[in-house]
Amino acid sequence: MSRAPPDPLFILRGSGSAVNSLSFCCGGDGPPFLYSGSGKGAIHLWNLTTRRAERVLESHAGSSVIWLQSFKDSRSRLISQGRDMRLCVWDLSEDRSAVTDSLLTASVGFCQCSLLETRPGAALLAHPTEHMEEVRVVEMRSWTPVCTLKPDLKLGMLMCMKMWQADSGPVLCAGYEDGSLVLWDVSHRRPYSCLKAHPEPVMCLDVDVCKQKGISGSSEKILQSWTLDKQQNLQMHDSVQMTNPGVSQLCIRADGKILATAGWDNNIRVFGWKKLKPLAVLQHHTDMVNSVAFSDHQDPPQRLLAAGSKDQRISVWSIYSES
Amino acid sequence: MRCCSSAALIRYSKHQFRDVMGSAGTEVGSCLRTLSTSRDSAEIMHALRTLTRNLEDGEFTRPHYTHAIQVLLSAHWFSRWCEDEEIKKLWDEMFLKGPPDQTLLLLLDTISSTGESAGLVRCASVLEKFLSAGRLQVLLWSRCEVGGACSDSPQLRETVIGHLAALPSITCNHLHANTPDAFLPQQYYPLLAASILDTLQKTCHALRAGQDCSLGFVAQVLGKVCIQGYSSQIFETLAPRLSSLTCVDPLWQRVTQRLLEKVPERCTECVITGLMRSLSGAAAVSRLMGNLVVTNKKAQFVLTHKLLLQQYQHPTPLLKSVLGYLALNLERRTLLKQVLRSVCQVWCNSSAVKHTSVEQQLYVSKVLLLCVALLHHSEIQELRHEMLQCMLGGVQCRLDSNIERIRRMGMVVGECLSQKLDTPGSQLKFQYEPDEEIRELKSLMESPSVEDDEQHQPDTSTSLQAESKAEGSAGQSAESEAGRGSDSELDSDDDLTPYDMSADQEKKKSAPPHYVRDCLEALMSSDDAERVELSLQVAEALLRKNVKATQEVSVQFSKVLLHLEDRYNTPHFHMLRQNAMVALTVTDVKPVVDYWTTEFYSLNFNLRQRLDILEVLALSAQELSEPITNKHTGAQPISAVTPQEQCDDITHWRQIVEKRIQSKTRRISKGGTQSVKAVPNRYAPVAGFFFFPLLRSYDRPQVTFDLLGSDHLVLGRLLHTLGLLMHLAINAPVVSQMGRALLDFVWTVRFHTDQMVRRGVMFAVCSVFLSMPAENLLTELGDDLMETRAWLADVAENDCDADCRSLAVQSLMLLDKNLKTQLKIPDMET
Repeated sequence: MSRAPPDPLFILRGSGSAVNSLSFCCGGDGPPFLYSGSGKGAIHLWNLTTRRAERVLESHAGSSVIWLQSFKDSRSRLISQGRDMRLCVWDLSEDRSAVTDSLLTASVGFCQCSLLETRPGAALLAHPTEHMEEVRVVEMRSWTPVCTLKPDLKLGMLMCMKMWQADSGPVLCAGYEDGSLVLWDVSHRRPYSCLKAHPEPVMCLDVDVCKQKGISGSSEKILQSWTLDKQQNLQMHDSVQMTNPGVSQLCIRADGKILATAGWDNNIRVFGWKKLKPLAVLQHHTDMVNSVAFSDHQDPPQRLLAAGSKDQRISVWSIYSES
Repeated sequence: MRCCSSAALIRYSKHQFRDVMGSAGTEVGSCLRTLSTSRDSAEIMHALRTLTRNLEDGEFTRPHYTHAIQVLLSAHWFSRWCEDEEIKKLWDEMFLKGPPDQTLLLLLDTISSTGESAGLVRCASVLEKFLSAGRLQVLLWSRCEVGGACSDSPQLRETVIGHLAALPSITCNHLHANTPDAFLPQQYYPLLAASILDTLQKTCHALRAGQDCSLGFVAQVLGKVCIQGYSSQIFETLAPRLSSLTCVDPLWQRVTQRLLEKVPERCTECVITGLMRSLSGAAAVSRLMGNLVVTNKKAQFVLTHKLLLQQYQHPTPLLKSVLGYLALNLERRTLLKQVLRSVCQVWCNSSAVKHTSVEQQLYVSKVLLLCVALLHHSEIQELRHEMLQCMLGGVQCRLDSNIERIRRMGMVVGECLSQKLDTPGSQLKFQYEPDEEIRELKSLMESPSVEDDEQHQPDTSTSLQAESKAEGSAGQSAESEAGRGSDSELDSDDDLTPYDMSADQEKKKSAPPHYVRDCLEALMSSDDAERVELSLQVAEALLRKNVKATQEVSVQFSKVLLHLEDRYNTPHFHMLRQNAMVALTVTDVKPVVDYWTTEFYSLNFNLRQRLDILEVLALSAQELSEPITNKHTGAQPISAVTPQEQCDDITHWRQIVEKRIQSKTRRISKGGTQSVKAVPNRYAPVAGFFFFPLLRSYDRPQVTFDLLGSDHLVLGRLLHTLGLLMHLAINAPVVSQMGRALLDFVWTVRFHTDQMVRRGVMFAVCSVFLSMPAENLLTELGDDLMETRAWLADVAENDCDADCRSLAVQSLMLLDKNLKTQLKIPDMET
């Protein structure tokens, strides 16, 4: 008899609308924080020690916040992306909550941006543009465009992407509407390889840079994992079946042990990352789960899993954190 | 009769003895005189010696022996001299060396004529020695030798046979608890069987030596034993030995066949049945019986008709050996075909289906299948017409039956026959759940081996064992390999143990309804399978929770549920629908029950719906009659709410005192304070609504529903339901009226031809007797009392259905109990 799945450690209520995006900020000094972006433009700053929203930022003119990310090098900065086609950079230091910078992406889609901090103080940002299938990579500090990546083939809308630093330079993996994944060499502005991973649009993807392995989810029941070989070719690797279709977001924990998915069936699923072995189905939410995130706690036992759902709640779990 | 003839026999010997006394036997005569009168040991010894010397002499034994041992038995001196070894030896010798038939007769007659005494004990011990010394063999063999004892008169012969066969009964009747073990049937008959075997052995030797033998006497003994009911004891020893002996020696076969031929006709049945029961395998039967079934009419009747069609208590292996025996030989195969024809006739007879018990039908079905399995293809083509008729008729009348077991039997046999008759494309195929019985029936069709089971059993069993072992080890190795495989996988995979994921279910698209009216709406009009399923799932809970809302739409809801069909193959559809219907009935009793009872007799319902109505009524009545065991009501502080009615002074005053006592009392233990609280029976006031409308129009047939005609399935269920409703109303005031009405109803249908209906009738009668108060019952029954009793007794004895019989016995007992209690009360008063 296997043990019963755990209950959430705690629930964060009061975001007032669907929770679209989550980002932990646990490094450095001060209490650990969880940032959440809601469907009505509010960004909540949850203090994980008191479990209360310490501040609420009204942003993006009330439009839905689809993505936000804290910077690793400074706790006081935050970047958010909203449906008002804008990117905002926030300064949160000393109780400030001011937008220090903003960029008009002109993208009307739902594709989330991807941030790559190349060195302290410098970062690259990939964001969708007014052309649905196009990615633009910009230098954060000056918003200088580095390149624009557009596939030659008709792959449909850009759905999701992730950028990371490889030996040869920054690499970006993008998922498209027809289920294809394209691996871009950002420095040379050309695609390394292309893989038709799903029959349906790629909804989300995540890459484990150490293992050169990634995984993508779609609107169907299958999660598909793939590998990158030395020549940066994408290759199908493994797949796992779920009970109900649809994944909003995927997240591999930093230690490469487990993978969490935010399911359209209200459930959070946890898999082993090595063999994609199903480990747990966490049932708490009463509506679609939109986002999952693992905390960046330095101390492994404190690592948390947070999930934000359309039912306006954020559930926080402690799962497989003891090892 | 035995007594009489043996007495005559003894008189006859005495007469002879007197004749001889005068002339040659003067020496013997003086010896006997000495023995009967003398008290001197030396004289006695001398006389005994003289007599024993003469034992070999035919001149002495024939006329004098009986008298001599009679004298010995009645002599008084023996008790005094019994210590003397010499005298004892000579005495024993007298009994054990003389002609065994005379000794046996005399000993048994003495035992049966003397009362309890030392003489009786002496007789018994001599008889015991007689048996253990193997004198039975001598006796039997003496009758086998041609010319040996053929001079016996038929009476004497008959008497000896009777005594041989009935020794345990004769001795036991007189020795009672002191009967030695050797005389008990369990020991005596095996001994007799061994003696018979020995005699047959000697016969074989004699035949080899070219000497003629007669087995008539042995056959008669065998027949007598069997007809007295000891066939199993005697064949337990005899049959296996004969089976193995005939296996190696054809002469033994001839001897055994001859023995069976010689069995008197009136004993044939017992002997053959006993033999068949103890033999395993058709080949053994064939060796022992030869073509007896062809030559002997009686044997033929027993084997081809009686065992197969008239009796039904025999186990399947016996059937296999009987039919296998018939199939083994070309001459007998014609009989097998005959058997098939007659079995076919019986099997497709619809009256037999109605009037014979299920067990017998199963038996006949087995015979039919075994027959068919034994026939060759060409023979089946020859009998095709008969078999086809049988299959069509038999299957049809079985499918009409109300008893599931019979229906299933019909389906299986139909399938099996059709498998033999038809081309693969056009075979019959039914849907049913296979159970043990069906598997057994089907296994009969697998090509039966007519080989000798005994010989092949060991081989097959050993080979099977070996195989299974091999299989087992292979399986194990495969398993272990698989285990290793998964282990290695585990090694490489995470050390993370998965949580229980059983709660991970397919997600439903729509939400279950939250209101009674929504639920009704969904059930009424929805084309969405999921929505219907969800509505059905929550219906019961919704209906029970929202009493007010339910009462508003109860009848409409009932209508919808009654007409609801399982269009989407919803899991547990029937249970969910039924639960909802019961919930409706219980929540809003009168209107819904009214609706059910009127709809039961109305047009345009199928049988299933009518049966549903009955089931729902019964279940609701049961729920209503049970006390409410809801935890909420139990935990509610009832004293907190003061009912309006209890406002009069006394109760008020009592309550106040009670409260004061409660507040001043310190309770050490909290347990045991909860007492069982009496609650009103919710069913009693409404029992009439359930019951009487169902009796309203049973005799008014409609186009679609004829309760007393072809729809006897519903009639059976109706009677059963009425019985239940009656029983649940026990102790209610209305129960007497209900009982009267039910008895009236039952009276009209008590001789129904359908078993289901009769079961229902018996059940209803039982429940009336159980629920009605005794005094009312007797006044109600009144004049019909005796007739009812007679009817119940007749059913208890003669009905072909076991359930009916046991229910009838039950109701008779209940009736008697009622009578007794009722009749006692006036006695006590006077």
